[in-house]
Amino acid sequence: MKIALSWLKDYIDLPESVEELSELLTFAGIEVEALTRLEALPQSVIAARVVSAEKVPKTDHLQLCRVDIGSYDYPEKAEDNTIQVICGAPNCHAGMMAVLALPGTKLAEMEIKVAKIRGVVSHGMLCSERELGISENHAGIIELPVATPIGADINEIYELPDAIFELEITPNRSDLLAYKGIARDLAAKLSREMKEPAEPKLPAPTGDLKIGLYNEEPQLCPRYTARVIQGVKIAESPMWLKLKLIKSGLRPINNVVDITNFVMYETGHPLHAFDYQLLASREEGTSHPDIVVRKAFPKEEILALDGKNYILDGDELVIADGKKASAIAGVMGSEYSGITFDTQSIVLESAAFYPGSVRKTSYKHKISTDSSYRFERHLSAEYAAEVSVRATELILQLAGGELAGELIDSYPQPERESYISVRPARFELLIGYALSDNEIKDYLQKLGFVYKGKGEHQKGLVESLPALNDRAEAHYYKVPAYRKDISREADVLEELARLSGYDKVPQITLPQQIMDRHAYYAKRKAMQHLVAWGAYETLNYSFSDPRQMQKLGFDPKTLPFMKLINPQSQVHSVMRVSLVPQLLDNLAYNLNHGARDIRLFEQGKVYLKTAEGHEEPTKLAAIFTGSQSATHWQSKPQAIDFYWLKGCFEALLAEYGISAEIKSFQSPYLVESESFAYYSGTGCIGTLGRIKPAVLAKWDIDSSSLKQEVWLLEAETDLLAELSRKRELKYQALSRFPAVSRDLSFLAPENISFKELKDAILALDSNLIQEVELFDEYRSKQIAEGFRSLSLHFVLQDQEKTLTDEAVEHLMVLVQKTLIEKYEIKMR
Amino acid sequence: MQNQLAAMLQDAAREIAACNTSNDILNTKANYLGKKSLLNSLYSRMRELQPEERPAFGNLLNEARQKIETLLNERNNAIKEKSWQTSSRSLDYTMPGAPGIRGGYHPLTIVKREVDEVFLSMGFEIAEGPDIEDEFHNFDALNTPADHPSRNLADTFYLEGGKLLRTQTSTVQIRVMEAHKPPIRIISPGRCYRNDKPDPSHSPVFTQVEALVVDKGISMSDLKDTLQNFATIMFGSQVRSRIRPHFFPFTEPSAEMDISCVVCGGAGCRVCKQSGWLELGGAGMVDPNVFDAVGIDSELYTGFAFGLGIERIAMLKYNIPDMRILFENDLRMLSQFRGELQ
Repeated sequence: MKIALSWLKDYIDLPESVEELSELLTFAGIEVEALTRLEALPQSVIAARVVSAEKVPKTDHLQLCRVDIGSYDYPEKAEDNTIQVICGAPNCHAGMMAVLALPGTKLAEMEIKVAKIRGVVSHGMLCSERELGISENHAGIIELPVATPIGADINEIYELPDAIFELEITPNRSDLLAYKGIARDLAAKLSREMKEPAEPKLPAPTGDLKIGLYNEEPQLCPRYTARVIQGVKIAESPMWLKLKLIKSGLRPINNVVDITNFVMYETGHPLHAFDYQLLASREEGTSHPDIVVRKAFPKEEILALDGKNYILDGDELVIADGKKASAIAGVMGSEYSGITFDTQSIVLESAAFYPGSVRKTSYKHKISTDSSYRFERHLSAEYAAEVSVRATELILQLAGGELAGELIDSYPQPERESYISVRPARFELLIGYALSDNEIKDYLQKLGFVYKGKGEHQKGLVESLPALNDRAEAHYYKVPAYRKDISREADVLEELARLSGYDKVPQITLPQQIMDRHAYYAKRKAMQHLVAWGAYETLNYSFSDPRQMQKLGFDPKTLPFMKLINPQSQVHSVMRVSLVPQLLDNLAYNLNHGARDIRLFEQGKVYLKTAEGHEEPTKLAAIFTGSQSATHWQSKPQAIDFYWLKGCFEALLAEYGISAEIKSFQSPYLVESESFAYYSGTGCIGTLGRIKPAVLAKWDIDSSSLKQEVWLLEAETDLLAELSRKRELKYQALSRFPAVSRDLSFLAPENISFKELKDAILALDSNLIQEVELFDEYRSKQIAEGFRSLSLHFVLQDQEKTLTDEAVEHLMVLVQKTLIEKYEIKMR
Repeated sequence: MQNQLAAMLQDAAREIAACNTSNDILNTKANYLGKKSLLNSLYSRMRELQPEERPAFGNLLNEARQKIETLLNERNNAIKEKSWQTSSRSLDYTMPGAPGIRGGYHPLTIVKREVDEVFLSMGFEIAEGPDIEDEFHNFDALNTPADHPSRNLADTFYLEGGKLLRTQTSTVQIRVMEAHKPPIRIISPGRCYRNDKPDPSHSPVFTQVEALVVDKGISMSDLKDTLQNFATIMFGSQVRSRIRPHFFPFTEPSAEMDISCVVCGGAGCRVCKQSGWLELGGAGMVDPNVFDAVGIDSELYTGFAFGLGIERIAMLKYNIPDMRILFENDLRMLSQFRGELQ
């Protein structure tokens, strides 16, 4: 619902700033979805009289106007205080009071300048509401009341500056679909009194018109009131009324209709007015028309105020006259009985309808109106009469006329009064802080609850409520009829929490963060990766035999062993400093038991003596031998080799999002030219290589009879976890343009590495070249000595445009030229 | 010209019917509908006709064109369908499918991970600490008297330089309570060491998970709830749990935790030694002295702790008869657990 701050202030004093109010509303549970500020207009926007308006020749709608700006100082002003303005609005006419923006005015969406339109000079612009930012209305220019003095302050007329709050009202709060409802919640939240409009006083009825009322559906229409006002003068509404409606997003129509809308927005209760003269009698020969509340007849048709013809199926509740439906109850009136400028007497309806019925009808016929929206959310029948009085008072004020008879009120079964009990201790238990009895009472009374006393056994009251513990501590309240959402203590506690503020709820337990979640899951990831690459996890004792390290080629004296004082044996006499010896034990064990394709890993701690004491880093080690894939009749197995292992390690790094550089590396137990290490930043994060047959022999593994290479991977799990800690994955926008592939084969000198070539290619155009993929390496006698054949697959893509053949060709030629010049490659 | 058209239609129908490949279709289409086709030339020869004859003949040409197009499309579809049929083969579906490459986790990791997940889902955090500890964290802070037998060389491994290998992961509880204020809800899984010779039910290296909860208003009832919750998730809803009095220096009161035998369901069997119950671990309410040692107000806070042996749970769960099997790392054992943990 859209509400204007200027109108809201009619019901409560609000010295707060717009921002403060926005916060207040949102934190009272009335979310401000959008806030539009209506800024004050510059002084160069004035009320001006259109003295003359003549058609500009050879145009269909432009008019040349002389506009009287009174005493406003403007250089091009004529003797008679007029200036020349061109206007294209259909409603522009001589004699009208309009709003003129003079040259130099800066409006929200434009700056007004002296303009030449079709060769005619225009000094300014006559404005529509939209141009001034007041509403979306752009059907014509603003027509101010004729009595408005020339030069009058537009800001005063339009109550500017102002602010429009677009509120999201939750479906349980029909009472908030009204200015007074919003003001009531604010009053409770701010502990401030509301300003109620003066108690309406209606004159005694003097008119002679009569109307009959038949409520045939008291279930669907628990209350129907009708009042006849005769001799009204239907006219445009006064500026103040129109303005209120405009700012709330409503379109002014005429004084009576505008008043029904005004009262609906004020109180939340929809009203409807019928043209008395157009209503028919039920019985022939009756002197007065009738109103019949009934279900529609099957296939009954109604031409509604939206200009559409609806065919009803008989379930809908309608408000009919003696003959036919003149309104779909609570949803929309009919065209034939609507208020027009010819209307002389009206029947004012103020009623309550069963929400389910209105919802069903609205859904079935796809009509949602301000009225149906409110009735669907359950309005109390209690207020129908007072709302009618309020509207009647305004109609008499603005449209004149006299009352004909008293209010006709069909209210056969008055609504049950609702009571609630509140135990203050429950508030603290549920919400986490305490409110005093008086604070609770104040909040609830401001919301319209009536205090009935504490702990007393009130006849007919306590019995109606659910049996609660601590009954003696309970306070009893009568629930206002407009709060259909309050039926239990929990509902009241919510009200109290909402009004006293969720920000007051104490946060007692601060987040602990004892666990290093990243490190925990990073360790899991390494294991998961190796399992996915076919390895089985082993677990070995944390103790080790110092001689094992000697077998790997180390001098045990140089190793940082933590030694046990009371080992069970020499084999378990030190804490392990490496995972490798035990993995070799596991390998030898499984080879001895007949396994040939073996992939094992362990992730665990090693224990290193340091100057300060000791360290327990977590490491990862994996050992591989045999074929890359399990045997299968379709495929010829390929042995695990360096490139397989490299792929395994780099895929692991990719999972962590770590980029690292591979360099050759020396280890006492790895074959010299076949061992490599990965470095990221300054540190070595892992190594890989082939285990020396001589080392294997120490574990009784005979390489010459095994005829399998044994490969080893080691990684620093703790470093992987740390390096990946700050990883930020961000989605990269996809190119909307197609990618182009090209292949390129050439002979490259043996001493040039693939990486050198790839880096050189990427350096040419790293935006365009998305991928450079090696898909073949080949050596043969046909190829010159010292060269190898490489085949590359290119993926090229532009983020901004479709690549042309020329651009692709140009790039590929550039790639060849560069490689030939820089690396002396030969094209094949 | 009408005759020419009729003859052309006949030829086209015959040639289209003779097409056997999509390429044939393309060629035939070019011949009869292309720029140099007879049909196309007839279009340009329309002006030779009297103006009043032209619309009728134009219609004839359009009909002929449509007819040829329809025939071409039908034949093309028939050719395609035929190729689909011939490309389907009969398969010996009993031959082995491609093998996966996936390895597997060690059963102790599987059980430890399950325990982690159970407690993570109950809102616990996981805390870890060093295996190599000092006497304060392993014994003193845990209210172990200086002359307590568990401090003996025969029970505890000591290292040069005065450190020792922790005998339980309660050490981590002490470290967490030193660094963090309550509320605390942690488990501390990790390796522990006791000077036991390896045998079917002992290992000098074993894995323990300890749980610790410290907050206001924690009672033995919370311990019971947590234990039963754990037993239910880990072993199934039919499993019952109980605690019975025991003694540990760091809890007061102390308890042993049992679950109903997962093998016989409580009727009595070899595994539970006919008792119907299996011992799961030790538990109790944190001793006020332990709180004092780490500076937590024992008047304000209470807490419970319990410890579980991962090896024992794994052996019960997977019916592993000898603890030593778990440290042999035999692929024939390891591969049995492939896929047990995703």
